[in-house]
Amino acid sequence: MAPRLETLLEAPPGFRSPAVARFVWQLDEQRRVLLDDTRGLSPADLEWQPAPGMNSIGMLLAHIAYAESHLSQVGLEGKATSDTRAAIGLSEDEEGMPLAPGAPPSPALAGHDLAWFDALLARAREHTRRVAMTLTDEALAREVHRLRPDGTERVFNLGWVFYHMIEHEAGHHGQINLLRHLRRNPGAAS
Amino acid sequence: MPLLMRSLILPPADVRSHEAGSFLAQLDDQTERLTEDTRALTPAALAWQPAPGLNTIGMLLAHIAIVEVFWTQVGPLRLTAYECESVLGIGVDDDGMPLSEGGLPPAGLAGKDLAFFDDLLARARRYSRRAIAALTDADMAAEIHRTRRDGSAHDTNMRWILYHMVEHTAGHYYQINLLAHQYRIRGA
Repeated sequence: MAPRLETLLEAPPGFRSPAVARFVWQLDEQRRVLLDDTRGLSPADLEWQPAPGMNSIGMLLAHIAYAESHLSQVGLEGKATSDTRAAIGLSEDEEGMPLAPGAPPSPALAGHDLAWFDALLARAREHTRRVAMTLTDEALAREVHRLRPDGTERVFNLGWVFYHMIEHEAGHHGQINLLRHLRRNPGAAS
Repeated sequence: MPLLMRSLILPPADVRSHEAGSFLAQLDDQTERLTEDTRALTPAALAWQPAPGLNTIGMLLAHIAIVEVFWTQVGPLRLTAYECESVLGIGVDDDGMPLSEGGLPPAGLAGKDLAFFDDLLARARRYSRRAIAALTDADMAAEIHRTRRDGSAHDTNMRWILYHMVEHTAGHYYQINLLAHQYRIRGA
């Protein structure tokens, strides 16, 4: 029998809003393929840099978790500031991005294994899911106004927050796959 | 004076389905940022390979356009035979992907400038926009069954196809930024 692939985007149960549930399905699908692609990576793989000043896979995994935790707090929950250290055990400084030119990876991530990064990601998702389950369809249009430290006023709606979480994880997942490829091709490092 | 940054996913006015329009707005956001981030790329940067067997930025840009046309045909247009030459002027294999181990970029993309790739992306979006804007809410739940090139079956739905168009663009867009960064600091 020929192999069969099934990809059906459906609203998982337990959410107040089918539209929000479908966003969470997309987030979970992103996570499924990210976890698939990172199995077998050693601590050395996770902290490898193609060149000084470039992100490691570990930094990108930490950044995905950090960004999701931050966005779910200030975006979905509408908090004035986030406390990602309390939520997932990692602060903005510890994730280490953006990296300064010529800098090594964030020392806070040194030596951690894949299980440590998996747990970070899982804690961020658990929080996002808990908050998302309470949101209604109408909440997706809700606008959030934030004043950034540089004086910029940031306006976004909750639909954008979910979209950004998805594209952000998809984008960095793409970079992680490229870094894995570069790691296998030593001649490709700068 | 303080700056204002607005990030709102708002479906365009000319779509029939709010949900389909949301995906279209997401695609447009990807393209806007991709376009902004690629402005300084020369033909040499677009054709640069970190090593044989690895994709160039130009290959990735062509691939994004080809794949957008392909999934538009599978999903919103419900076609059963797929081609992109009539839309883009290049064929489905002209991005050179997947590149074989140690492979070089396809000759057809050699020396092409940013305007060439911008045009590919713009053609793809005009094509997908028309098709996505025509979708109704009922279309969004449609299941689609197709046979892949390797003979395997793929059962999917319209929502997954539109989601995939967005996440596929995002994955390669961020890769382009990584390659552009690597190109800028190479040899440093």
